[in-house]
Amino acid sequence: MIGFVILAIIALGGGIGVIVARQPVHSALFLIMNILALAIFYILLSAEFLAAAQVIVYAGAIMVLFLFVVTLLTAGKDDREPKENLAGQRLTAGILAVLVGGGLAVVGVLYPSRAIGLGLPHNFGNLRGMGVTLWGPDFIYLAAVALMLLTAAVGVLVLNRPRRQVKPAPRLEERES
Amino acid sequence: MTYALWPEYSVVIGVFVTMIAVMVFNRRSIQAYWVGLATIVVSGIITIADWSSKSLPVALYGHAVTVDAFSLVVNGLVLVAAAGALMIGWNDKRYGPDFPVLVLLALLGMMVLGLANNFVVLFIGIELLSLPLYILAASRGTGESGEAGLKYLLLGAFSSGILLFGLALLYGASGTLVFTHLDPAHMILPLAGAGLALTVVGLVFKLGIVPFHMWIPDVYEGSPLPVTTYMAFGTKVGAAAILMRFLFFGFSLDAGWWGPALGYLAVLTMVVGNLLALAQKDLKRLLAYSGIANAGYLLVGISAHNMFGARALLFYLLPYGLAVLAAFAVIQFVAGERDSLSLDDLTGLAYRSPWLAAFLTVAMLSLAGIPLTGGFVGKFYLIQAALFANQPGLAIGLVVGAMVGLAAYVRPLQRAFSKAAGESSEPIRWPVAGSIVLVVAVVATIGLGVYPAPVVHIVNHSAAFYWLH
Repeated sequence: MIGFVILAIIALGGGIGVIVARQPVHSALFLIMNILALAIFYILLSAEFLAAAQVIVYAGAIMVLFLFVVTLLTAGKDDREPKENLAGQRLTAGILAVLVGGGLAVVGVLYPSRAIGLGLPHNFGNLRGMGVTLWGPDFIYLAAVALMLLTAAVGVLVLNRPRRQVKPAPRLEERES
Repeated sequence: MTYALWPEYSVVIGVFVTMIAVMVFNRRSIQAYWVGLATIVVSGIITIADWSSKSLPVALYGHAVTVDAFSLVVNGLVLVAAAGALMIGWNDKRYGPDFPVLVLLALLGMMVLGLANNFVVLFIGIELLSLPLYILAASRGTGESGEAGLKYLLLGAFSSGILLFGLALLYGASGTLVFTHLDPAHMILPLAGAGLALTVVGLVFKLGIVPFHMWIPDVYEGSPLPVTTYMAFGTKVGAAAILMRFLFFGFSLDAGWWGPALGYLAVLTMVVGNLLALAQKDLKRLLAYSGIANAGYLLVGISAHNMFGARALLFYLLPYGLAVLAAFAVIQFVAGERDSLSLDDLTGLAYRSPWLAAFLTVAMLSLAGIPLTGGFVGKFYLIQAALFANQPGLAIGLVVGAMVGLAAYVRPLQRAFSKAAGESSEPIRWPVAGSIVLVVAVVATIGLGVYPAPVVHIVNHSAAFYWLH
């Protein structure tokens, strides 16, 4: 339980850091902190393979890519934030978020789920167990997720197509209603 | 029995063939559109064959998906939506060669939502539906289109997060992923309640119910016209189908948990959506608010929670979708090279093109619910369902909403039939594919209003799904 609380604080701190940090690079580093805390969570839940994959894929590959992009694209850019039109929305959103999150946490702690007591299936969390599930009964999900990734690849092609120059529409101002 | 999932498999094959067609032929070629349309036709034929086979309903992959009359009707509706969107944007240079591929991928997501009987399939369906639409919304390449895509992506990701949180809590409370194995009597109540609330919020967000409707007008306005058509018809079908399936399969015995909340949301949505539609100057925004109001009508069918409600919802989806197809086809014709149309642009339409004005009139009157159009019959069944469920408040809300809506739908007609001040501009071009969609949609709208019996028979058969499991 103590380990859980410490890890939860680290993970939450990382998550808050991602959105609070001024520099995109700091955000990315906070995200790594969050990802590593989640990886240790997976180990506590005896899902070793997921923990390893989390560290290698997310903290390793994706975040390195992320850092490269951030350093290449934002070097020397102005990092001041645009002015907000709606005063006090951050404060309101923060209070609401804390209330909802706190409420859900209280519900979760007071009424622990029943499935916890069921015990783990054979080979849970290791590579063999994952493979047998994913390529056996759950193969249909794997195929569907593959199609989702295909969509993302098509999307990269579509959105990176060179743009024709279109002059901006004059109606942009009167659109708020 | 083994053919039960072939409508979906044929769409998957169609996606790959369409991509190859885009690659092999010239990028600006029409072949991809033909392959996409052929895929939709083949999938429709297999759906009809499944309907007439005697082997349904079947549960496949360990109760992950259920193929029954309900899922086949959803298949049919989303196939109509995809065919309409594809033909309205037929070979249009503005939307790029990938348009048919993404339409087919979103179609697959909508079909999966009709089949789902499992939290994982539900989530995958929602994502498979949303991802191509995010891209399609931004595919025009103008500032507004990009804004629409980004807004849709951010808010869609936000709602997916809420949905996923809710599903996780429900899994924790019940210990099962399958809707039909959920047993509300043996759940840990506060946990299940929180999970149900978050899940319903996530789904209702996709449907566009007030107060989760903020994204709809901006996204509909900025997206290319065929994509807006597709979102207004297809997404609503998918979201309404999965919401009904999830609640009726999983929580049909505990309607008290969710029925009243959805009822209040339905009344709020019908009134607010129609009121805001009154104030719009842009036709796409007007139809976006009309879509919000119509999502409220659909919610009446769910919160009535009886067979009549399920039937009325399934029936109402068809006239609503046909009216949307007809209205957007008219907008596409009149707008021509542009991508949006203000009410002022409609002025004098009846003198420039009497037929277009007549078709627009039929579409708008159907959305408003005037007799002899499909929209009237749909609203009639919805009110009947609300009254049979002893919920007169829902019926009153629907009537009030429809009356306000009538004023909103008559405004474009008033412009269309008033004399233009200046000289008339160039004649309106009628693209062949779009004309087919327009004529079929208008004829079917009137047909549904005059002789709805065949469609009523089909939806009666398919709405009985949750008694059979």
